[in-house]
Amino acid sequence: MASPDVAPPPSLPSAPELPPKGRRTLWDVAAHFQAFIVPLVALAVAFAIGAVLIRAQGVNPGYAYTSLFTAALGSSSGLLRTLQKATPLVLAGLAVAVALRAGLFNIGAQGQLLFGSLAAAWAGFALGSLPAVLLIPVCMAVGVLAGALWGGIAGLLKATRGVHEVISTIMLNSIAAGIIDYFISGPMKEQGQAIPRTPAIAEQARIGELGFIPVGFILAVLLAVAMAWVLKRTTLGFQFETVGANRFAAEYAGMRIPVVVTAAMLLSGGLAGLGGAIETLGVSHRFESGLSAGLGFDGITIALLARANPIATIPAALLVGVLRAGAPSLQFDTGIQPEVVDMLLAITLLLVSIPLLAKLIFRRRAEAGVAVTSGWGN
Amino acid sequence: MTRTPMFRASATAVLASASLLLAACGGSTGTSSGGSGSAAAGDCASKEVLCVGLVTDLGKVDDKSFNQSAHEGVEAAIKELGGQSKVVETVDTKDYANNIKQFTDKKYDVVVTVGFLMAEATATAAKENPDTHFIGVDQFQETEIPNVTGLVFPEDQAGYAAGYLAGSISTSGKIGQVLGMQIPPVEKYAKGYEAGAKAARPDVQVTTVYHPAGDNAFTDPAWGAAEAKKQLDQGIDVVFAAGGKTGNGALSEVAKASTAGTTTYCIGVDTDQWLTVNDAHKCLVTSATKDMTLGTTDLIKQVNDGTVKGGNFTGKAGLAPYHDFESKVPADVQTKVAEIVTGLQDGSIQTGVTLG
Repeated sequence: MASPDVAPPPSLPSAPELPPKGRRTLWDVAAHFQAFIVPLVALAVAFAIGAVLIRAQGVNPGYAYTSLFTAALGSSSGLLRTLQKATPLVLAGLAVAVALRAGLFNIGAQGQLLFGSLAAAWAGFALGSLPAVLLIPVCMAVGVLAGALWGGIAGLLKATRGVHEVISTIMLNSIAAGIIDYFISGPMKEQGQAIPRTPAIAEQARIGELGFIPVGFILAVLLAVAMAWVLKRTTLGFQFETVGANRFAAEYAGMRIPVVVTAAMLLSGGLAGLGGAIETLGVSHRFESGLSAGLGFDGITIALLARANPIATIPAALLVGVLRAGAPSLQFDTGIQPEVVDMLLAITLLLVSIPLLAKLIFRRRAEAGVAVTSGWGN
Repeated sequence: MTRTPMFRASATAVLASASLLLAACGGSTGTSSGGSGSAAAGDCASKEVLCVGLVTDLGKVDDKSFNQSAHEGVEAAIKELGGQSKVVETVDTKDYANNIKQFTDKKYDVVVTVGFLMAEATATAAKENPDTHFIGVDQFQETEIPNVTGLVFPEDQAGYAAGYLAGSISTSGKIGQVLGMQIPPVEKYAKGYEAGAKAARPDVQVTTVYHPAGDNAFTDPAWGAAEAKKQLDQGIDVVFAAGGKTGNGALSEVAKASTAGTTTYCIGVDTDQWLTVNDAHKCLVTSATKDMTLGTTDLIKQVNDGTVKGGNFTGKAGLAPYHDFESKVPADVQTKVAEIVTGLQDGSIQTGVTLG
């Protein structure tokens, strides 16, 4: 497990110090806030490139973007769908972000989310006689547990055997897909139903919405705030950050690396599992084969866009939610395929992740890019 | 040249405003090439204009099999009857209802929903929109809804004929199938294939593999290719691939085998894949087809002239032409397979396939 090479620099860049007040220029202030500015510029560039491509298909980009945003934000039903889509994305993004802070790149949010979702679907059906006040928390708790268990396996493997979490979580995703297929095609399959899926959860297990705001979204936002607090103000958070920044220094300082690594993966998996559980309780009301739709992988996009900042996962998830909720109308109105949305996200992510854009704008004051792992073999 | 902050700021501003400029230089409507139908957007709320919408299942309208066939059926109908059509492609199964709503909000006359998995969303939308007629491809209707017609096919018959052919041309006595998700239309193909193969050669061994239930069951060519490779390694020499893009991956993989076309063959599905999957020409003997294009066109015409009925409409299933394999498949096998196809159609041969 020990490796001779020197630990890499911290995975989280910190903003440059502001010069003393008298000599401060507008540019210094902008450079200080580049964590906000760079993603916004990246987004603008992505939309500009998207506009060229939309134009090339003979469609007015202004009309296309108007159609996209009107569908996602222009009505209460559109807003509801946008927020419903953003809810699991916030949690999946948090899952990946928290692990990143501890220097772990959790590719397995997908599998953890699926297990959380399946567990919640099971509890919502099997314990359907419980009243809502008990049933909903129980469903969420089993979702968290299932996700944490699946994430914890990767954490334990890393802590005890030095198995790189990127490898183990990718493999665990495939294993999860197989196990879930077994359950929804076999023991947990809805009776008399040709599609592999679980029975619907009890009515009182379903979480609805307040106006156009899904209850799940409120929970997700609260958790994002809570995670920011945990990372900044608690011993656990301090340990995550220290191990993520320099595990050798952390070890020297007396932190038990295996425990911290396992805890980070448990927490990460639990957050992803909760995302899956809320998706089951709030949207699909059962586990069905198309439930995940790559949510766990979107979580990686979101965590990187948010630069592993828990609070920033909220706007990042909202962005993805808006784009995904608006895509069908975009295709209906203009004939442009829904994949254009993924292209916009991919360009944005590229520009945010590679330091090019920050260097171009801020030159010497540019922060380092987000390093996603602490390297192979340690 | 030293780049000042001001320069950098303006460079950024230029990039950022490029989208606005581009937006400004376009036309005013943006519908110049919108949708797939005619450019002249008629008023779909009026009775005179025929408006047809198509919602695909996961996968694209150019998937070379399932969604594409239905889409071609819509286009053929529009070409014949006039009117307009549009497509919305599903990327998340939780969007089924919303994607259908795109069309019902605009009072489309016909909405075609492609795929068994969309049956519930279609039934719900039909009850909410009694003035729109729904065509549910592959959606068997157990209870009749007046404005939903399920376009269903005897896939077991197409599978049986393909299986009979596979059993006849296999030299190893081992044949296989690589399938999408285990849902009734796919299962009917698979069970028909097995029954047909056993009819041709009672000692045949049939290896069957379904894709794990998941959102990528019909869009996973890499998995299809890997499973096909596995089957070839086990000595299987005829692979039936039925599962959208997942199946296409299997076809392309079998075509790569050194013995492809001489002792190793593949069979496509849904549409004549000779015409759609060029990669597979080396091994593609035929395809087990269901004529979704014709079925969709026929039903749209029925809606247009008012003769359509709720319930189920059974389309045609059969085998595609042999194309280049015409000369390679022995004449007696071809004769026998043709007899089987006729027998299945007139009912003198039963596949014996039951699901449950």
